[in-house]
Amino acid sequence: MRGLDLRRKSLRQASVVLHLALLCSAVALAQSSPQSFSADIVSRDSGGVSLGATAKLHAANHKARIELGGAADDFFLSDADAGTALFVRSAQRLYLDARQSTPLTRIFIWVDPRDPCRQWQAAAITAVVLGAGEWHCEPVEQAILNQHQIIEYRVSMPDGQSSYGWVDSMIGFPVKWQSADGNLFVLENITPGAQPANLFSIPPDYRKLDPKALLERIKHSDVWVDSPK
Amino acid sequence: MRMNGRNHLAWGASAVLSFSLLATTVGFADDKAKDNDAADAAKTESPIKHVIILIGENRGTDHTFGVYKPRGKHQTISNILSKGIVNEDGTPGPNFSLAQQFLVKPQPLYYVGAPKAAKAAYGSTGQMPQPNTNGAPIAQGESGAPFVPAFLAELATIDPSPDFNPLTNTILTTGFTALPADTLDTRIPNAGVLPNGPFVLQGANISDDDYTGDMTHRFYQAWQQSDCSVANATKANPTGCLNDLFPFVMATYDLSDNTVPAVQHNFSEGNEMGFYDAEQEQASTLKTLADRFALSDNFHQSFQGGTGANHFMLGTGDAGFWSDGNGNPITPPANQIANPNPAAGTTNKYTADNNFSNCSDFTQPGVAPIVSYLEALPYRPEPNCAEAHYYMLDNTNPGFYPNGFRAPAPAAQAMIPPSPVRTIGDALNEKSISWAYFGGSYNDAVALSNDAVTAGTAGTLNSSTALAEAALADPAHALGVAYCQICNPFQYATSIMGDTAQRTAHIKDTVDLLADIQAGTLPSVSFGKPDGLLDGHPSSSKIDLFEAYVQQVLDALEAHPKLKAETVVFITWDEAGGYWDSGFIQPIDFFGDGPRIPLLTLSEYSTGGTVNHTYADHVSLLKFIERNWKLRPLTDRSRDNLPNPKMRDDQPYVPKNMPALSDLFDMFDFNHQVKQPFLQ
Repeated sequence: MRGLDLRRKSLRQASVVLHLALLCSAVALAQSSPQSFSADIVSRDSGGVSLGATAKLHAANHKARIELGGAADDFFLSDADAGTALFVRSAQRLYLDARQSTPLTRIFIWVDPRDPCRQWQAAAITAVVLGAGEWHCEPVEQAILNQHQIIEYRVSMPDGQSSYGWVDSMIGFPVKWQSADGNLFVLENITPGAQPANLFSIPPDYRKLDPKALLERIKHSDVWVDSPK
Repeated sequence: MRMNGRNHLAWGASAVLSFSLLATTVGFADDKAKDNDAADAAKTESPIKHVIILIGENRGTDHTFGVYKPRGKHQTISNILSKGIVNEDGTPGPNFSLAQQFLVKPQPLYYVGAPKAAKAAYGSTGQMPQPNTNGAPIAQGESGAPFVPAFLAELATIDPSPDFNPLTNTILTTGFTALPADTLDTRIPNAGVLPNGPFVLQGANISDDDYTGDMTHRFYQAWQQSDCSVANATKANPTGCLNDLFPFVMATYDLSDNTVPAVQHNFSEGNEMGFYDAEQEQASTLKTLADRFALSDNFHQSFQGGTGANHFMLGTGDAGFWSDGNGNPITPPANQIANPNPAAGTTNKYTADNNFSNCSDFTQPGVAPIVSYLEALPYRPEPNCAEAHYYMLDNTNPGFYPNGFRAPAPAAQAMIPPSPVRTIGDALNEKSISWAYFGGSYNDAVALSNDAVTAGTAGTLNSSTALAEAALADPAHALGVAYCQICNPFQYATSIMGDTAQRTAHIKDTVDLLADIQAGTLPSVSFGKPDGLLDGHPSSSKIDLFEAYVQQVLDALEAHPKLKAETVVFITWDEAGGYWDSGFIQPIDFFGDGPRIPLLTLSEYSTGGTVNHTYADHVSLLKFIERNWKLRPLTDRSRDNLPNPKMRDDQPYVPKNMPALSDLFDMFDFNHQVKQPFLQ
């Protein structure tokens, strides 16, 4: 419990640092209750210092697209209704299940503002990050920022580690996340507005990667051990 | 570029770009990190502060260096060229008949020395089995090697594995057979009419860049192929192993019906007799290293048979056994117990080709012939079989998954329960000497294991199957199926794998080996094992892919001259893979030794293209570590207790004091340091 208390204290300190960012976000969101918007996802350490990594988020119609930036034109697509998360490699014109490729597709997804835990748990199951044991999620606090209700949730993983998520209940989307290691992912520069539909679809000529042939080749090596008959 | 990589890693995403980050940094760093090398503090008997042992798959000495002429002054080598079995161009030589292979009339029980009267040379009675494409890829694949080039590029960007690099990108796309599956390998010149003896894997349609057919390489088969009997003993070959039943055993152990048409399940056939011609630039990277450094032509696989048991011996100097998971031997399930006696009505079909035997019990099938042979040897080696212990003779997955998950029902999952056998890792830990096992694609295997645990399959399935199922659902980590679980002797050990801190500290990926070299944090002792794509195993890999893996490690080391100066890189193999070899074999106990495999010793103190003849096997690598860091033998029964050989002047390959194993120190001249590039 003491460990948890300390983490909460650290969380409070970090929250102070981030109030400005959240305030800016809320101001933007206060213009409307958008069903679509774009934003930057910024990573910060537990002291609020930027980790230098920024991703671009596009969100619309229960779908989210997260672009990693950098030279590779790669992105992740999540669909809250379908319960899918895909990793799209544009240069290679292929896609695959995102699974554990990034934590972002398990966090920044459209959620039911009254019960985001359900979608977060579903995303964790899709990503196959839940081991044996109990997964727990509950609201712990709420606040009003510029007419937006921000609800804080604690998510406890089966390994006993806890993360915290803040959901803007007016739009049904997380705006901040603190992982168990104390690092933060924060939405900044939120810009309401329609997003092009093609951002959320996979071009028809892209293929889904299937590792079956790799498995067949490996079965001819000593790496593969057949079970006795 | 580094910033881009860091950004991606900060998101946890990829993994994907960690390789590009690595590729950027390797080669540009100076050697400042070496100044903080913690391994320097450990007292050593020699100037060597770091040992790297790189282990390939399934190549024998004559198979790889059979046609090789030492470059060192006054150096000699024992191989099929020096014996006149073949000529320098690989064609049959004046003494070709020394390598002739035999078939054996049906016998009532399993044997390791065939009765002379029952043997007949191929040629006089039937044709020697011919080479087969057995399992080799028939075409390029979308996600299996050899890859369609465009798909390889995809994999390279999806997976951070250092498998995909400029050295491998081309050769991972080449070498398919373009022949029907499991058929006569007509790429080999004269296939179909090859005479009784070894044949060169070289011609207009075949080279060291081609996938070739595999062959079975298992314990009882290997003993039988060696054809050992004191009745065959000579001064040069006092243990009487003739090595003349290689194709025969392959052609019969799985042949269930002697009538025509035969019902046969494996197609190993004559593949055992294939070899490369190093003098014609086959396996040229290995040849260059032999030219510049030191090669042993009397180094042996420590265990008759296959991968798992040989790696286990490499890590422990001993054999694993079936236990209750708490160190107490128990009897394994019946479907794990071997019975190599021929089934009724067959020439040599094994009744139960399984993985475990209690060799302390002479009444167990297959045991008495081997133990009787050992007892008949003039030096009477102990079988070293503890009472009521069922030893792991053939490949069996460890009781731990790569992520440390302990299989809850090992008997039902066909996984050997966690092992209490002490490892070299335990000994190094006790002396606070740093070490690590670097397994190719290990990180992906951990991810797949996590998937399997979550899915529940890790609790019910064998780990190979569970990881394969996970790979289908998690393609970003699919390469994890290529991580070799049975190659990691520490994955069997409760003391390492059952302890999260130990596992995370010591069990790592190839990418970590390269990073440690780069950062100056290379452990004192490192084991490097490529994954299944690069390990050089016939059929699933190629010898030039293992060469590429070796070169990647050597290139990284080359960029750090201070580190290189106090490092030895041993390059060897787990076993000969079923390939025939002409060398002398010294039986040490029930488990081996087996045929020769190459050992290359690369350091600034082992140069000049020398060839060392002192008898050695995998356990010699343990002995080197133990002598250099002043460790005691691992246990009172481990093979590292054996003395160094006293070699005979008149018979330079046969120790006078058998059984004996070299500690390899005589491959070095620590008074003579030569700086030279590995390969450039």
